[in-house]
Amino acid sequence: MKNRDSTKYLRNATLFALASILLFIWVFPLVWAVVVSLKSEAEVLAYPPRIIFEATAQNFKDALFGGVSILPSLITSLIVSTATTILTILIAVPAAYAFARLELRGKKWLGFYTLATQMVPPVGLVIPYFLILNKVGWLDSYQGMITVYLTFSLPFAIWLLVSYMEDIPREMEEAAFLDKANRFQALWHVILPQVRGGIAVTIIFVFLNAWNEFLFAVQLGGNTVRPVTVAMYNFVSVEQTLWAKLSAAALIAMVPMIIIGITAQKQIVKGLTVGAVKGGGRQ
Amino acid sequence: MSSPMNQSKRAHGRGRVSLRGIRKSFGTFEALKGIDLDIEPVEFFALLGPSGSGKTTTLRVLAGLTPPDEGLMTVDGVDVTHSQPGERDVAMVFQNYALYPHMTLEANIGFPLKMDGVPKNQIPGMVRDAAAKVKIDHLLHRRPGQLSGGQQQRCALARAIVRQPRLFLLDEPLSNLDAQLRLETRVELKKLQRSLDVTTVYVTHDQEEAMTIADRMAVFLDGSIVQVGTPDEVFNKPSNVDVAAFIGSPSMNLIEGHLNGKTVSIGDYRFDLPKLSNHPSGNVIVGIRPSHIALGGAGLTANLYLSENLGESMLLNFKVGDNLIKVRLPEVRSFTDNEVVHLTFDSAHVHLFDPKSGIRIDL
Amino acid sequence: MHRQGGLFAGERGFALLMVSPGLLVLALTTTFPLAYLIWSSFQNINLAMPFLDGFAGLDNYRDMLSDGRFWHALQLTGIYTVSSVFLQLVIGLGLALLVMQIPTGQWLFRIVAILPIVLAPVVVGLFWRTLMLAPEFGIVDFIIRTLGFESVNWLGSPTPALVSVILIHTWQWTPFAFLVLLASLASLPLDVFEAARIDKANAFQRFIHITLPLIRPAIIIVVIMRSMIALSAFAAIFAATGGGPGTASEILNLYAYKTSFVELNFGYGSALAVSLLIITLGVSGILFHLRTARRS
Repeated sequence: MKNRDSTKYLRNATLFALASILLFIWVFPLVWAVVVSLKSEAEVLAYPPRIIFEATAQNFKDALFGGVSILPSLITSLIVSTATTILTILIAVPAAYAFARLELRGKKWLGFYTLATQMVPPVGLVIPYFLILNKVGWLDSYQGMITVYLTFSLPFAIWLLVSYMEDIPREMEEAAFLDKANRFQALWHVILPQVRGGIAVTIIFVFLNAWNEFLFAVQLGGNTVRPVTVAMYNFVSVEQTLWAKLSAAALIAMVPMIIIGITAQKQIVKGLTVGAVKGGGRQ
Repeated sequence: MSSPMNQSKRAHGRGRVSLRGIRKSFGTFEALKGIDLDIEPVEFFALLGPSGSGKTTTLRVLAGLTPPDEGLMTVDGVDVTHSQPGERDVAMVFQNYALYPHMTLEANIGFPLKMDGVPKNQIPGMVRDAAAKVKIDHLLHRRPGQLSGGQQQRCALARAIVRQPRLFLLDEPLSNLDAQLRLETRVELKKLQRSLDVTTVYVTHDQEEAMTIADRMAVFLDGSIVQVGTPDEVFNKPSNVDVAAFIGSPSMNLIEGHLNGKTVSIGDYRFDLPKLSNHPSGNVIVGIRPSHIALGGAGLTANLYLSENLGESMLLNFKVGDNLIKVRLPEVRSFTDNEVVHLTFDSAHVHLFDPKSGIRIDL
Repeated sequence: MHRQGGLFAGERGFALLMVSPGLLVLALTTTFPLAYLIWSSFQNINLAMPFLDGFAGLDNYRDMLSDGRFWHALQLTGIYTVSSVFLQLVIGLGLALLVMQIPTGQWLFRIVAILPIVLAPVVVGLFWRTLMLAPEFGIVDFIIRTLGFESVNWLGSPTPALVSVILIHTWQWTPFAFLVLLASLASLPLDVFEAARIDKANAFQRFIHITLPLIRPAIIIVVIMRSMIALSAFAAIFAATGGGPGTASEILNLYAYKTSFVELNFGYGSALAVSLLIITLGVSGILFHLRTARRS
């Protein structure tokens, strides 16, 4: 008996060690970024790189309040991401309900169309958008950016929500109709409360994708609309890269995402795997 | 506690349902092939049949959830064939209850009242009354997920009866309960219906259930109704071989035989019918229930194939030629394998069916 | 109040009402720009030399087919997509199998796996470019030199640059494959494996004949989704190498971008983008067909 226990223990220990090494590979870049952000610029350039040093919060202060502060960009990202998310949900929920529940002629084609719109590579959209927004004068504007962000948020949200709504048994709504509810009341009182979880997952993913978006942000924005992903480049130029400040700024920009990631991890994994079961989709 | 409108409705014997020529197809599958049915007010009417026979589709037509392709449906003389479910004053208990999982029992039961525009202050009282009738008034604050199957079913019942509909539909309500609970609930359902005085249509595939609970029933086979009648009529006068084989547990024995005047012969076995029938002589199908066969006498020669001891009685399976005949013996005896026995039929309880059409031959 | 046709008559109006805002927005934000893109690909639109503007017919496409840089970009796209998806799958599956065996602490792996996924790809690209791979100061280089190997110009030499961007993409997205496959493995019924053990299958045989077929749907989905993302990956490569050095890491995506926004040749850029679109649709069509064909 003792032999078996010890081999089992050895086995578990090796597995754990192996997994921990791999874990390390994924944790390390972030950890190193934190380390660098706490160094002064001079310290960063020291060679060989030191692990023990005098930590300073100066970089964070500079990133937030200094000359090239990313604070305005944080606000911009917040506005754009929030507006995109709200608009997306308002439009996608009824559309998803109609797809999932109602008998529509050509429903299959509509579903395929929604799926296909997700397949379009962003570069294929940024070109026409640039040309169109240029003509309309909406470059570097909030309305332009948010409209463009709907491009990738909406199909994804509809597709996600449809799969959640399809899971609700038909009898639930039929019981509501027999209880004299009309379609709107059935949707509001019966269906929506049950897809609350699905809506939460959708919100998380839409917000995440909007916040992290880069291509549209850099091409279609400018000085007014400069999301935080673009603001990173405040610290990168042809002459030099301000390493420590860049790390600090990037970390600040990513903090909201990390918080969401950790607190909503169950929802996120659920969202990823819903995609895995039903197919297609972004991110 | 009921509204003045409901009270006056009940006084007029409301809830008379009539279906004429109802047809429904799903793609190429013909689910209902012309259904005609009359249901009296306040009766407990069962729709009985095997899976896929059309009984649930008919129920859904009554509910307004499945509009028929053809035909007419009237309730109390008013054409409601294409009315919306909410307009029909009909309540339904689904097979898996369809309770709203995010609402408490109280909210579930109160939902139809809320949708109907009943004043808010009246709702709690009506909910409590309905819940008390099915004995779940102590669980009103709980959610469906926290309840047992039996309790969920009662909640579905309460939600259905709370607005005192004129038609009450039940789709195999007992099929998700365990055997013991099923028997208990059966009795309570019947008593509940009596106390509520509401026309009830009940779908089931369990013929024993239908026999014990219904005032009248319709037997469905393959999208058509093959017989309508009281349990007694259906049991003792099945209109064709299919009904005969379906009703009764264990099912009726059906053997090929020959009719000559008053005498029926099966192989060498001969016996006389109590009455002369008008049917011309010829081949017939003889039906006899297992409890109407006795052992001994100058009867049909049979080999014992299997004997089942049921405690207080026995179920014996005999081989007669190619046929398997079942006999119920009200006592327990021992038998040897392949024992040869003579079976005598109780001629008063013999059924005859035409071999080609399967229709009952009246005596 | 009676309505002919029962539920479905009144429903049509309601359905249209629910769906039309969504469809309208979709049409405006996706279909219309796409149509514009296709139209532009048949035009000469050069913001640097506006006097060249005008209808170009198939000129852009003809130029594209004889453009060496285009074929190079196409080749790089293929290498990038196939290798990163393959790596993600293999490493992700390996990790998932590993973590399944560990009795406790799975939650830790889940949290660590989520972090790379929620980061912005541009940030990931910048981190790797600056902190990890930069010559002299980057950690990766430091470790390699400490181990006694030669320093590698990760981002400055052609092949290492391609390797680097593939590495970066794999680093960021393997956790996705890991999480999905882990969930799939965790949902497998135990009794099938027990039956296999009774049938004397060893661990490897059980893996090949039972585990793999059962998680096939999850694997296919991972391949589909990651391929789509790999084909249109932009921000991380842009941040890390900008497509360079030269065109060493310039996948088709980036080439189209550069042509349009750096050389300001929107017409040709549109044609490049359209070809990428066709390739993406083609690949997804094949993959989806694989998925549904096997399912039935």
